[in-house]
Amino acid sequence: MSRRLAPGGTVAFVGLLVLLLALPAVSSSYFVDFVMTRTMMLGLAAATIVFLAKYGGMISLAQLLFFGIAGFMYGNAALESGARGLNLGWDPWVAVVFALGVATAVALLLGAIASRTTGIYFLMLTLVYGVIGFFFFAQVITISGPGGVTSIAPPDLFSEPVRLYYAGVVLSALAYAGFRAIGGTPFGLALQGIRDDPVRMASLGFNVPLHRTLAFTAAAFVAAVAGLLNVWWNGQIDPASVSIGPTLVLLIIAVIGGISYFEGAWLGAFVYLLANNYMRQLPLVDRIGIREDRFNTVIGVLVLVIMVLSPEGLAGIAAKAGGSLRRTGRRSPSGPSAAAGTAGERTEQPDREPARTTGTGEPSPATPTTKGTVE
Amino acid sequence: MTSRRTASRSLVVASMLSILVLLAAACGGADTTESGTGAATTDDTAEPTDAAEPTDTAEPTDAAEPTDAAEPTDTGEDGDTAAGDDGVRLGILGECEGPFGGFHEDVVGGVVLAMVTQAGATTNSPTSALDGFSDASVAGTPIEVVGIGCGDDTPDTIIREVRRLVEQLDANVVIGPLSGDEGIAVAEYASANPEITFLSGIAGSQEPTLEVQAPNYFRFHGDGAIWNAGLGDILHNQEGWDTVAVIADDYSFGHTSAAGFIADFCGVGGEVVTRVFPPLGTTDYSSFVQQLPNPDEVDGYFWVVGGTGTQAALEAFVNSKGDLTGDQHAGNLFFNPDLASALGPGIAGAYVGGFATLPGDVQTPEIQEYLASADETWESLPGALTGNEPGDPSIAAAFGFFYGYYSAGVALVRGLEAVDGDISGGQEALQAALSELTLDLPYGQISLDENRSGIVDLGISRLVLDEETDEVVQETVAIIPQVDQSFGGTFSDSTPPPGRDFPPCEERDLPWEGNAIPVVDGVPQG
Repeated sequence: MSRRLAPGGTVAFVGLLVLLLALPAVSSSYFVDFVMTRTMMLGLAAATIVFLAKYGGMISLAQLLFFGIAGFMYGNAALESGARGLNLGWDPWVAVVFALGVATAVALLLGAIASRTTGIYFLMLTLVYGVIGFFFFAQVITISGPGGVTSIAPPDLFSEPVRLYYAGVVLSALAYAGFRAIGGTPFGLALQGIRDDPVRMASLGFNVPLHRTLAFTAAAFVAAVAGLLNVWWNGQIDPASVSIGPTLVLLIIAVIGGISYFEGAWLGAFVYLLANNYMRQLPLVDRIGIREDRFNTVIGVLVLVIMVLSPEGLAGIAAKAGGSLRRTGRRSPSGPSAAAGTAGERTEQPDREPARTTGTGEPSPATPTTKGTVE
Repeated sequence: MTSRRTASRSLVVASMLSILVLLAAACGGADTTESGTGAATTDDTAEPTDAAEPTDTAEPTDAAEPTDAAEPTDTGEDGDTAAGDDGVRLGILGECEGPFGGFHEDVVGGVVLAMVTQAGATTNSPTSALDGFSDASVAGTPIEVVGIGCGDDTPDTIIREVRRLVEQLDANVVIGPLSGDEGIAVAEYASANPEITFLSGIAGSQEPTLEVQAPNYFRFHGDGAIWNAGLGDILHNQEGWDTVAVIADDYSFGHTSAAGFIADFCGVGGEVVTRVFPPLGTTDYSSFVQQLPNPDEVDGYFWVVGGTGTQAALEAFVNSKGDLTGDQHAGNLFFNPDLASALGPGIAGAYVGGFATLPGDVQTPEIQEYLASADETWESLPGALTGNEPGDPSIAAAFGFFYGYYSAGVALVRGLEAVDGDISGGQEALQAALSELTLDLPYGQISLDENRSGIVDLGISRLVLDEETDEVVQETVAIIPQVDQSFGGTFSDSTPPPGRDFPPCEERDLPWEGNAIPVVDGVPQG
């Protein structure tokens, strides 16, 4: 089946892209720089969680580590002077290649180990990766130390904040299209087969650990790209940037948006950042106990509500709403056909990718075949 | 089926589109500030360091944004202030989360008290500083709080918060932050935004002033190293310590605090024989204490283990090395009389480094007036030292966090007075005036060095056994006058930041050696 968007979807996607590109002209720079640029960065990173969960059935908590490794490596390579870090003073673009290379190589190594595990064990192992990364950068003062690396400037091309925003938009669009395209490739199809029934895929001759490792590495590469955007935006990175708190925030973003929808990664980041930036300015919210130090509580409640209402997140809610509207539209002109349509929708439900990807990576009884999951 | 699914996907994309359109409309409009990002324009001069300081005794407060703090005051018929704009739009970088989250009320309280006592403001609440103040003005220039930032002891968060204050809420003066690593990040941001004036709250790292040297970043308090100045001199020359073992938290503030002691102790001729750095957050210190020499192999121990770790580390010492003999121990500001409740009176005799304020036994008229002004300003404050329950405001005011922010607030008022309220022209006049200020504050005089860092007086104290109550109390033994952050050249912008191996143990002339002012029964003898 084709992974291409339907004509309506293409129009919406292009429309969204045009709007995003035109946004700096119609919106405040604070909104663009503080909300939208970060939406692109965090959405890009969260999309890698979605990618691994959706196609590989792997919920990874290590994505922020690769996000951070890229930042630390860029800072060490690009800075010319300073009391901490390697201060290699390389050309910024060489530093970019170096940062992406190191992050990807580390991911290949860690992925090779993690690929032997599934489900909760994979989750815990990637959490351990994140914790090791935090302590590594906190303790090894040669490349970071507890205070991190500061005064990191982006390449001249991105010296203007709005250019960084555009870079985020373009890279997000590429990642979105790329991740969707991978789903239709032989590699993507095999990966989804491995997600649904690794034993059967192994018996068919597929190298299960290798596929998982390569998926993990590809996701880490994209997370590293997001990490570069982040360190250019933030100007500094320290071990707390990759600690357990931000690690969970990234997962929460993916969950809010819908861990089975690539769109959900950016949607989740957008909602998270909106709440983070504007919640405390809403009239009278402080009078009902919603203040800046309650932000995590509010986000926690939001996640809880979303999980109860729709385990597929906001994107899932939107998709369901769309399905309901269509069914209503069909039902009104012709009762019997509408009923058939509803039945058709019902039978289609098990085919949806989301429900399975939040599982353990083991075959789901609701997933009859790989074919069904890849459209 | 594919078409249905892709149609659903289209709906998702369309939903995002709609949300964006609505928000773009809501947030549209021209920019009100031109502030750049730190990332784009900062100099490659600084390195990180130091996290923050003290006791970690409190739980986070119920912090809050000020409720529309103050409105600009009516400037009368001639309306325009000397500033020629809206006056001072003050942002306060507090700390409502993280290990120092309990001090949010305290630090905001420091700024509010300064505005009340120095700029004619009135508080908006008799029981909380977080509601801000009203009607503050200096030389006709109104001062209003536009927002209170919520830090969590991490540079990432504080950068987002300071950018929110400046770029979204249009703050043109910022007071804060609290902790050392945050201070470095804010100083970097300051260097990229020279038209905004930044006054450090109580961030104890060296780098904001020693390395970053942003011309618009002012620190009217000391740093983690300064707060241990003079301690080595007393221990070596008065108590006869020739050798010492140092155990310090392995993070920025631990390094900096230990560095101040090492520079001082070695500078006057002592020798540091062992340096041990347990990771921050250690709960079982037994393996680290084992690395320390035995009590008969060294003259003393210097402890820079903060928070709940102080007691845990000393208990590990008791288990490993035998009973505490206070005369053989010293600590930075983490040492306090509360340790005796868990460790017994054996801790009596230990020396304690200084902080922004002096221990409570020193009561000059200026200090009494300052503390009384806090009690007059609020009925109660839920500060960290009262467990974030309502307590006497003077209890909060006597602690360094509150006082550091108070000092910054007073400095802002004095600076505005010096320029007759003129904050026009990128605040150049105000910043020049701040650089030249010498503040006569309740706990001593503070002036700035060439990097705009405080040259301060600090008090060295000792835990002693009160014979009447049989309790361990803290007693000031000396005041070290006019300490600057260079330590006679030990620290400069060309030296590494304090670390596990820096500074080395070298004898050096220290400006304050032998100049300690003895304090007897709370009265300075000079």
